[in-house]
Amino acid sequence: MRREAVESFECFGGRCAVRVGDRDGEAAAAAVGDARQALLEAHRTLSRFDPESELSRLNRDPRPEAPASPLLRRLVAAARAAGQRSGGLVDATLVGEIEAAGYADSREFDPRGADRESPPPHPAAPSRRAAWCLLAVDDRARTVSRPPGVRIDPGGIAKGLLADVLAESLDGFDSFAVDCCGDLRVGGRGGRSRTILVEDPAGGEPLHELRIADGAVATSGITRRAWTGPDGRPAHQILDPGSGLPAFTGVGQATAVAPTGLLAETFAKAALLAGPDGAESYLPYGGVIVETDGAVRVVDPLGSVLPEVLTA
Amino acid sequence: MDPIRKQELKRQAGRRLAEQRQRAGHLRGRVLAISLACFALLWGIVFVQMATGNDPALSGKKVAKTQATASTRREVETTDPREVETEQGAANELAREEEAAAEAEVEGTEVGPASPEVEEVETVEAEPEVEAVETEPLVTSQS
Repeated sequence: MRREAVESFECFGGRCAVRVGDRDGEAAAAAVGDARQALLEAHRTLSRFDPESELSRLNRDPRPEAPASPLLRRLVAAARAAGQRSGGLVDATLVGEIEAAGYADSREFDPRGADRESPPPHPAAPSRRAAWCLLAVDDRARTVSRPPGVRIDPGGIAKGLLADVLAESLDGFDSFAVDCCGDLRVGGRGGRSRTILVEDPAGGEPLHELRIADGAVATSGITRRAWTGPDGRPAHQILDPGSGLPAFTGVGQATAVAPTGLLAETFAKAALLAGPDGAESYLPYGGVIVETDGAVRVVDPLGSVLPEVLTA
Repeated sequence: MDPIRKQELKRQAGRRLAEQRQRAGHLRGRVLAISLACFALLWGIVFVQMATGNDPALSGKKVAKTQATASTRREVETTDPREVETEQGAANELAREEEAAAEAEVEGTEVGPASPEVEEVETVEAEPEVEAVETEPLVTSQS
């Protein structure tokens, strides 16, 4: 008899949930419990705010090459892959910059922070330093290498990656869904499609409805984790790698569909950073673009655009 | 034979042959038209089904849907406060169960939460069921 076991819990500074449906309800419930433990453990490993996490120790390590667990090695490889797939727009090495912007520790957010007198919009650019290019993983030696001083901020990459990691372990069940703070990965042997709603950043009704049987959806935006910066200007966690400052590109939120969570997260952030004119090119599997003036564009899976189907 | 009579018979034979050919032509045309119509109809059905997102390869059997709807809802385990059922949710569930029971009656299947017959049917099923219970939609939000 099919059942769906569900657990929802706090992790990665937000709410995560795991759902598993299977004829064997006990196995599904056990898998959900294991997935929860795995996510919490991954959070302890990859937290930038915990000085004792393995990631923090790696970021402090003065050696150019340091031993790393399989999960950390996978994160480093994912950070490099995200940089490559986004042409450098998704840069996981901007730790100094995000700290300077006011996000050095786990903090409270003001969702309206990014609305106040934001600078004129312009597309983001890759960093000239491109430190993500220098990240390397040696699985045989079980090490990662990067120039000393280059630190890694897992950010959304970790959420997309962990959704994929859990998906690998849940793939044998009839259906599953992993929600890592809004980064979703769904699948299962049954090929059951699920309804996925795209949240309105303004808090209104969902902007769009997707039906996905096997794949991932991720959303990146500048409103939820926003605050007032040290200089009194609006700030948020999505940085323009070119300037090292919070990016104001004219896109307030981008949702991307992709085969994997990592790819969806990469595409969503790259679309946001590319600005209204370039966002569509980062959504090859479709998505939803919300511009800061409230205009909404739905990019369908075939790559065509339905312009301004909704306006806030 | 009289040559005139012979010619007449030849004419009659030719006429019959022409009529036969005409009938065969009509018959061929009709068969072709019916074949084309059936072909177009079948592909039309497939097209509509796929275009509306109801790929038969991805959907479940009706029997499976009835059983899953009738008995799975109660077995969902959750720790999510959002999953806690409200009175409205309970009413909806009751309505769904009644609907499922009505469907099952039409199909001559007994459905009941504690029915041993249903349990027996479930245990002898060899084919894995396809999920038919529509759960709460997922929401993608800024991570």
